[in-house]
Amino acid sequence: MSRSYFYRSIVPILLFIGMTVPAVAGEPTEKIRQTTDKILSILGNPALRDPSRAKERRKLIRSAIDERFDWEEMVRRSLATHWAKRTPEEKKEFLRLFSDLLERAYMGKIEEYSGEKVRYEGEAIDGEYAAVKVNIATKKNKDIPVEYRLKKDRNDWFVYDVSVEGVSLVNNYRTQFNSIILESSYENLVKKIKEKLAQK
Amino acid sequence: MMKRFDLELAVGLFIIAGVICLGYLSIKLGKMEVLGGRGYEVYAIFSNVGGLKTGSSIVIAGVDVGRVKSIILDDYQAHVVLNLPEDLKIQEDAIASVRTKGLIGEKYIEITPGGSEKIIEHGGRIRETQPAVDLEELISKFVFGKI
Repeated sequence: MSRSYFYRSIVPILLFIGMTVPAVAGEPTEKIRQTTDKILSILGNPALRDPSRAKERRKLIRSAIDERFDWEEMVRRSLATHWAKRTPEEKKEFLRLFSDLLERAYMGKIEEYSGEKVRYEGEAIDGEYAAVKVNIATKKNKDIPVEYRLKKDRNDWFVYDVSVEGVSLVNNYRTQFNSIILESSYENLVKKIKEKLAQK
Repeated sequence: MMKRFDLELAVGLFIIAGVICLGYLSIKLGKMEVLGGRGYEVYAIFSNVGGLKTGSSIVIAGVDVGRVKSIILDDYQAHVVLNLPEDLKIQEDAIASVRTKGLIGEKYIEITPGGSEKIIEHGGRIRETQPAVDLEELISKFVFGKI
């Protein structure tokens, strides 16, 4: 299986997964677990399984994700040196595009979740930054290490990066956005993302 | 008498010049910094540096900008000190990753600049790091699976 296929299929599942009994869990781990449980209960809700309610279900999942992900921080880190030059309107627009892009890429896979086991393997807190290590056991018995990076803001923890097998989501988009902007323009990047979103 | 002295002097100077050239060449080829390196030092902690060595390159946008000054095991992780040009600015959310030249070549550090306005000071830490990816382990995992 090619690596990019794997990455794209596993990451969304891993973004929000089922729980197992943890060893010692601190606050950041608890926050990850809360959001995960929320999403799982949405996925497990028989009333929402009906295809007529698919849109509603997606909205619920998306809002659970929005509660835990700091989109602005993720976008700032992904646009990197190009963030400061953006006008407030552009920033607002890109925030929406970025989160929609991720939703489009991974929502389908989240909905395909079917009982993969998750182990919470520990966390490290350093001031207002934290890393939560998680391990996913896929159906084929492969262990996939995932690391959530969180930042504390007003007594709550928010995710600003997810790494799968040591590969950072932010770094991945940072590199791509940077090369598209430098090769053409920011406007072209926005255009590309909009085209991708329109593809549905 | 004078002539011989001149000859000896000339030979001596020639030898000294030769040794200096040799020294210069060794230092250049050995990629060592004669005057003790550039002014901006930051460090980063990696869970795995995959065989990165002191003296390995540090690359930004494909450009060689500095060298790894030291690698120490600290609490079972790699504490790596990076030596960078004084006028370089590394943002607080820059990401340092261990990369490989080609697929199986030597390791180096790649830094992707971030979007934060805060700049890491001299002696500060690059918080966001990505470890070396063990390609063989990855391949084996997904070709053969686990028991």
